[in-house]
Amino acid sequence: MEGEQAMSRRIYLDHNASTPLHPEVLAEMLPFFSEVFGNPSSVHAFGRAAREAVDVARERIARFLAVRPDEIVFTSGGTESDNFGLKGLARARGRGHLITSRIEHHAILRTGEALEAQGFEVTYLPVDESGRVDPDDVKRALRPETIAISVMHANSEVGTVQPVAEIGAIAREHKVPFHVDAVQTFGKVPVDVDATGIDLLSFSGHKIYGPKGVAGLYVRRGTKMVAIQHGGEHERRRRAGTENVPGIVGFGKAVEVRAREMQAEAGRLSALRDRLWEGIRARVPEVRLNGHRVHRLPGTANIVFRQVESESIVLGLDLKGIAVSAGSACTSGNVEPSYVLVAMGVPIDWAMGAVRFSLGRSTTAEDIDHVIESIEPIVRRLREASPAWRATAAPAATGTV
Amino acid sequence: MARDGGARGHGDRVRYSPVLVDHFLHPRNAGLMREPDGVGEDEYEGCGDLARFYLRVRARRAAEVRFQTYGCGPTIAAASAASELVGGRAIEDLVNLKAEEIERVLEGLPEDRKHAADVVAGALRAAALDYLRRRDADV
Repeated sequence: MEGEQAMSRRIYLDHNASTPLHPEVLAEMLPFFSEVFGNPSSVHAFGRAAREAVDVARERIARFLAVRPDEIVFTSGGTESDNFGLKGLARARGRGHLITSRIEHHAILRTGEALEAQGFEVTYLPVDESGRVDPDDVKRALRPETIAISVMHANSEVGTVQPVAEIGAIAREHKVPFHVDAVQTFGKVPVDVDATGIDLLSFSGHKIYGPKGVAGLYVRRGTKMVAIQHGGEHERRRRAGTENVPGIVGFGKAVEVRAREMQAEAGRLSALRDRLWEGIRARVPEVRLNGHRVHRLPGTANIVFRQVESESIVLGLDLKGIAVSAGSACTSGNVEPSYVLVAMGVPIDWAMGAVRFSLGRSTTAEDIDHVIESIEPIVRRLREASPAWRATAAPAATGTV
Repeated sequence: MARDGGARGHGDRVRYSPVLVDHFLHPRNAGLMREPDGVGEDEYEGCGDLARFYLRVRARRAAEVRFQTYGCGPTIAAASAASELVGGRAIEDLVNLKAEEIERVLEGLPEDRKHAADVVAGALRAAALDYLRRRDADV
């Protein structure tokens, strides 16, 4: 049966969601479950060994970012880093105004809403049709009482990279702390916190072939922050809780590996991503590539298929062993075309057909070709059954962008 | 959505029966009908799923059934399954078609996909009613 045949070849194109451990990362982590298992806060040898491992990981990450080790705070995930970044800044100042964008991850948007409920004011800046924030909008939104700017480095759905250097310059000029959610860029494209004027940076392990449940927040020395998780004196009293030693060790190793592989990998993924888009565009009529053409993540392609509901494409591909992610969610009671695409002004009958392909280490050219071959009949079958679809005589002549 | 903006529905394959998957991969009776005797449509407000059914009626029975649909996988499967299910059925019976019957053919639907059977049943009922209204108007 078709489904069973497909199972023998599985293609994972959802790397923006999560990634498998790099083999070196797994090997690095293993001793820290049953052999080096002490609590890093313990004074005895078991504890000291664990403490040392955490320090090594912290140093690896600090070196990668060209910052000081004591400027790295380990957290449980990108979500916590985002929460700590905004709430930590806000609560240290007590009141004021924050500027962010409409296409941030929910960890930023919901935190913004929570801060609004506590009396802070938040401006959510719009984006253009490529998904970019205009630095002039940031400047215009500034007020005397602005206490933070938070703009993601790259959007996970469409891959568009923001003009963070320009925004950072504005933040610096006005002496407003600048937080960047770099969960989708850290370890994929270069990040220079000094040149860019970044004061706080969220970054995560499981997007870069490291383990889940561990992430970091870079906090520039001198940035006033209040802890949001209280208890022991861990992370220099910025974030209480016994360290996730195996996770942190894995995280440090993942970063070390990325330092070696990042540049070549970016080139390879860009080429494969372009191959995927060109192949789909050549074979499937009425498709569109979302996001900026130049300023974008190397491995992400968000493609809309007109007049087809993305969930049905995702299911069709899943049944062929291909994993992608839908830009819309169809569940009882809830219509959710992606809020990112809506903010970019993508019309609804396109937005509902958005599929995100995010490539990674394991992706080969054969995989890409197989996906292109597989998706064409799926979309054709769905369109043939669709009430609104009018088949075009010449597939190549349709409105692709 | 999740941290990545990703989809729900991973593990959907576990929730869908082989019958449903088969109808999704190989839908029966999809497409337009020329000069149908009855046409009906239903839409699920929540997520825009839409189903439209065309009927050819002979001797007060559904001689031919075709459908068009826009929506998630289960909705397409439900429409296909229903199009086979109601072939040959009396129109008066179609007016009372229940979603549960379609769900049974599919061997069950997960909680958050039950609307697929609702939309399809609604569209078929509407098609049956449309035929009856037209027939009464002709008299």
